[in-house]
Amino acid sequence: MAEHNGKVVINKLEKTYLDGKGKPAFTAVKGIDLIIEDGEFMVLVGPSGCGKSTTLRMVAGLEDISEGTISIGDTVVNKLEPKDRGIAMVFQNYALYPHLSVFTNMAFSLQLSKVPKAEIKKRVDIAAEILGLSDMLERKPKALSGGQRQRVAVGRAIVRNPKVFLFDEPLSNLDAKMRVQMRTEISNLHERLGTTILYVTHDQVEAMTMGDRICVMNAGEIMQVADPLTLYKHPENMFVASFIGSPPMNLIHGKLKLDNDQAYFIENEGDTHPLGTIKLKGPSAQKAKEIGSRPVVLGIRPEHLYERSQHENEAEFTAPVSLAEPMGAETLLHMDMANHRLIGRIQNDRLFKRREEVTLYLHLDKCSFFDPTTEQVL
Amino acid sequence: MNSGSKRLTRKLLAHAFLILFIMMIMTPFLTVIASSFSRGNFAPSKLIPTEISLNHWKYVLGIPYDEVVNVTTGETRTLKADVVPIRWFWNSIKISIIASGGILLLSGTCAYAFARMKFAFKNQTMTGLLILQMFPMVLALVAFYTILEFIGQFAPRMGLNTHAGLTLIYLGGVSIYIWMIKGYFETISTSIEESARIDGASPFQAFILILLPMSAPIFAVVFILSFISYMSEYPVASVVLQTGDQWTLAVGANSFLYEQQKLWGRFSALAVLSGIPITVLFIICQRFLVSGLTAGGVKE
Ligand SMILES: Nc1ncnc2c1ncn2[C@@H]1O[C@H](COP(=O)(O)OP(=O)(O)O)[C@@H](O)[C@H]1O
Ligand SMILES: [Mg+2]
Repeated sequence: MAEHNGKVVINKLEKTYLDGKGKPAFTAVKGIDLIIEDGEFMVLVGPSGCGKSTTLRMVAGLEDISEGTISIGDTVVNKLEPKDRGIAMVFQNYALYPHLSVFTNMAFSLQLSKVPKAEIKKRVDIAAEILGLSDMLERKPKALSGGQRQRVAVGRAIVRNPKVFLFDEPLSNLDAKMRVQMRTEISNLHERLGTTILYVTHDQVEAMTMGDRICVMNAGEIMQVADPLTLYKHPENMFVASFIGSPPMNLIHGKLKLDNDQAYFIENEGDTHPLGTIKLKGPSAQKAKEIGSRPVVLGIRPEHLYERSQHENEAEFTAPVSLAEPMGAETLLHMDMANHRLIGRIQNDRLFKRREEVTLYLHLDKCSFFDPTTEQVL
Repeated sequence: MNSGSKRLTRKLLAHAFLILFIMMIMTPFLTVIASSFSRGNFAPSKLIPTEISLNHWKYVLGIPYDEVVNVTTGETRTLKADVVPIRWFWNSIKISIIASGGILLLSGTCAYAFARMKFAFKNQTMTGLLILQMFPMVLALVAFYTILEFIGQFAPRMGLNTHAGLTLIYLGGVSIYIWMIKGYFETISTSIEESARIDGASPFQAFILILLPMSAPIFAVVFILSFISYMSEYPVASVVLQTGDQWTLAVGANSFLYEQQKLWGRFSALAVLSGIPITVLFIICQRFLVSGLTAGGVKE
């Protein structure tokens, strides 16, 4: 199966939905550029309604393209029928043919393209074997569990031997346990087949665990494309910073001040402002000097707050706990700050009480700074 | 007064009520059957006729039989209808099947367009159909008459007093069925057809191979409903069909009810006859009327 060229190039892609009278009503995808390499597992992630499905459906050929081009394996596919694009798609609601057996569900595309019976049987059997469906080929979809149905849908995609697999939130209808299991299965499948996958989800955990690279979308635009770790460590804007990670990155509004070769971050005034003014040290001070004195948003991940001092470049502050969520190995501490809530993920072996004053250490080396108006990283 | 005897009383009461109810439903039905087997053309007074006679059935089925004309002399004459009533039965079945088949074809395809396609004035057309269909067909009787007369000038086989002409008019009753089938199509997720499209099915193949089999129950219902309504339709048929050999069952049966003499016996025999195809149809269609045909395809 080494011959497939499943490189997908999306160029200035735009989608404007028309209303009943044929007038432009809503632009769901606003000119996005994205290159998915052959064999890559690309995840499209973003909040509901941001245009992920629309993008995927344009790649599939189920939705007309308003502007721009999509090419698959060096062929522009804008005008091609879905079946001629070398894609296979797995829908969120499985979309199985309820009146046909599992075997026929999987064989349908091959039967339509008049593949010889023996060949059909061979290919369906292989797919069923991979997915553990061999014993169920004669059943109707309604006699299957949710996970098995989704496997049939995946099997139906596999037998077509596509250049690109398209998944639209395939796991969101499954229960939590099944979801974790299917997640691994789809990852294994990718490993085994080596085919390009474009995978849509709104679940950032799914995105982080499955994708080679992740494309974060918001309101019809791409916010960042990167591998999971880069996305996590170096978000390019405040949207990605707050979307990826659970709990999300803390974003603290304030300003930078340079004074006598020293750099300070001053939190915006509010009812309480425990951070107040912190002195930046090490790389963060260096960064602040590059940025200069100006309003910024300081970003810090919850796990970079500590109860005990353990790094050289730290800022110490004291704040009352407004909510403590013991998770076992760690505790999520919520602290109300000036205009927001600060969350710390604290490794600990004690219980925190509400309104208890705790002293925490903020690891300055892990800070990011964002422009409060453009929301881009500085 | 233990709870056991209480339950028994309740059970007895419930059964008594049900039996009474069934009797209420069955009595008219049995009366008609009885009437068709009794001697003389009277409205029957007993559920089991005192004297069984097959004369009405012989008349209806076109088997010659002897009828006493003069009771005192015992004089008889051999009787056979000019137009054998069984002919009306076949006429009715032919028209009902063809018209219902046509209705399926028209309403199925129209409903698909309304449920799945985008085109100008879609909603207006739908509402228009619904409003038009609220007027009874009878109101347009004059129009039907004129139209068929007009068509008859060019194609006599589709004009007045022809089965083709009547079928044509019957096909006009399609709009309610369009609404019914459209409603059913809309319960079927479009992603199933999109799957089929990705799998390489043309829109026509997706319709025939995927949507239609999933919609078998609604098509069975539509076929049965339209078949029944055309089997018993009187006003339009009575105006369009003018000669006895063209009549349908309803028109023919009505011809037994003269002002001065109502031939209830023959009428009843015809009525029983008309129940047969409907029963047969129900038995055939029963296997399509299964629920859950669309279950398991999608998860909402
Ligand atoms: N057929 C349509 N007509 C008009 N607007 C649509 C249509 N389909 C989707 N939209 C809108 O486009 C936006 C993106 O939708 P979608 O791509 O489905 O989002 P998601 O990222 O949740 O998959 C949404 O705001 C949705 O309301
Ligand atoms: Mg979606």
